[in-house]
Amino acid sequence: MNEMKDFQITRRGFGFLAAGVAASAMLPFAARAAGSGAVAATFPGSWEDAYRTVLTPMVKDAGYDLTIAPAMAQDQLAKIMASPGNPPYDTLLMSPGQMAVAIEKDLIQKIDPSKLKNWGMLDPSFQGEYGPTVTIEVNGIAYNPDLVPKPKGYRDLFENPAYSGKVSWTGFASNTAVMAYTEIAKIFGSGPNDMDAVFKLFKDHPEHLKGVVDSTNHQMTLFQQGEIAVFMCSTGNVAHLKSLGLNAEFVHPETGSPAAPVNIHLTKGSANLDAAYAYMDAAISKAAQDQLKEPPTEMFPTNKDVALTPGIEAYVTRDQIKTMVYPDWVAINKNRDDWIRQFDALVAG
Amino acid sequence: MKASGFPYVLPMLLLSVAFFATPLAVLVGFSFAGPGGATLEHYARFFGDAFNFRVLVNTARLGLETVIGTTLLGVPIALLYWHGGRNLRQILIFLTLIPMLTSNVVRTFAWIVILGRQGPISEALVGLGLTGMPTSLLFTELGLVMAMCQIDLPLIILPLIAILSRTPVQLTEAAQVSGAGPWRIFVTVLLPLMLPGLLAGWILVFASTSSSFVTQAVIGGARNVYVPQLIYREVGTLFDWPLASAIAVVLLLSTGCLLVALTMMSRHRRLFGHA
Repeated sequence: MNEMKDFQITRRGFGFLAAGVAASAMLPFAARAAGSGAVAATFPGSWEDAYRTVLTPMVKDAGYDLTIAPAMAQDQLAKIMASPGNPPYDTLLMSPGQMAVAIEKDLIQKIDPSKLKNWGMLDPSFQGEYGPTVTIEVNGIAYNPDLVPKPKGYRDLFENPAYSGKVSWTGFASNTAVMAYTEIAKIFGSGPNDMDAVFKLFKDHPEHLKGVVDSTNHQMTLFQQGEIAVFMCSTGNVAHLKSLGLNAEFVHPETGSPAAPVNIHLTKGSANLDAAYAYMDAAISKAAQDQLKEPPTEMFPTNKDVALTPGIEAYVTRDQIKTMVYPDWVAINKNRDDWIRQFDALVAG
Repeated sequence: MKASGFPYVLPMLLLSVAFFATPLAVLVGFSFAGPGGATLEHYARFFGDAFNFRVLVNTARLGLETVIGTTLLGVPIALLYWHGGRNLRQILIFLTLIPMLTSNVVRTFAWIVILGRQGPISEALVGLGLTGMPTSLLFTELGLVMAMCQIDLPLIILPLIAILSRTPVQLTEAAQVSGAGPWRIFVTVLLPLMLPGLLAGWILVFASTSSSFVTQAVIGGARNVYVPQLIYREVGTLFDWPLASAIAVVLLLSTGCLLVALTMMSRHRRLFGHA
């Protein structure tokens, strides 16, 4: 107590202290405005870890700082929309569903491929005018062989009683989920956009509604805990579960595996273009993709010079990539709001 | 006196205006924003959908259930602290504060293990023969209330301890000497004394529970929808910010009404006697 009483500060000292605190609070803004580094939005979890570990040193070698900021694709869009003209990210990482929204709302810009040394290493289908494709996410079904038999496809999950109460689903906000639902709509309805058939299916199988959660990340935790045995996933999700020592297997649905390219986009109004291009170039370089193709991420490489690992080839080969199911995101985006609201109300009962 | 003190409160007043009142005004402004000027359309859309109204009721119920749970757990702990010796008091303070130093996200995910099929609760139920097979309390309101009670318990214990620390323990002995039984002592002596702490705790717990997005989403699952999830959906998924703002304002007003009611209660002389 005496020490506290002895502590005195003059008005001038307090002024300096306050000024110091204010100045230190401004530091991030100052660093941000300096234009020496890029802030790259990346999916949280294994993506964030991998990109930080692999790409940050490579971008540093190119003379720029790189900040990897974790955010789901929808959150990236929401944050960019919240600050038009002064985007919190220089680049975004997203699939075609969100890319269509970003283009429609004028949030991203076309890139200049001449600024990317590794551009020529990409297959033309991976050379998007709004940014390069860094990997293809191949989706399917993850299952725990200790708890359930290998599913044949989506129909099996609803018709085989072995899966009753052991399958987890997510809402229509998730790209993985919406791709699975369009496939289920094809099986049980008249086409990929016949979601009434999907909603009816869930109404007829209320045991499936019990396992609906918010995100794939949450499903990974539940899978780890043995709470669920099946969920809709990407090959990357299964690779990550396996790297944790879990008994997880991936199965291609008999009707085909939905796939989604993952692209890096340049935000409109980015103040750090050179650093953003350096980051993009690093992400499509052989050096980076040679590391990112290894467990636990096992990302499918889009750089032609990168050989597939046996682990990735067990899921998908380069030839199979062309035969995957690529949903019509324009049609999905047109209906998505309505589907989200209807499904949420259905799940809540 | 008031006039001379004004310059000293000015910085806080400016900060409040800049970082509280202005964002709040923006939020309210957004909730009335329409293409042709101010509109009530977003509120009409919110209340026009029975699902939304049910979500609002669910959120209020969750808050009240957690308030009841934390009160039932917090009052005995606070009384134990009041009657305890120095060591017991230190242990109780330590046990109350330590969870608060752990991230809410970590505590929430720990509850997945506790409430899961292979968790201690399920094993205890099976062991006691109350259920024949492992039971999961995940994605149930009961499981969520249990998790929220643990997470928010310090918010009610600390105000109670603050109140009781200023009260001499001999008060109960005096009441006992006067012929009052334990129940009478609790109702007529302790409860009125604790009521300001309880009211503060109830406000904190209710506000914290009704806005606890992570725990609601993780433990409650997608079947139990609460207002924060609805706001997140409108902002982050549907990008319908005016509707999200309207929902946020409705949540704010609901919590505000409770706060005003509790504050008015705390000023009621009959509740507190003449203390």
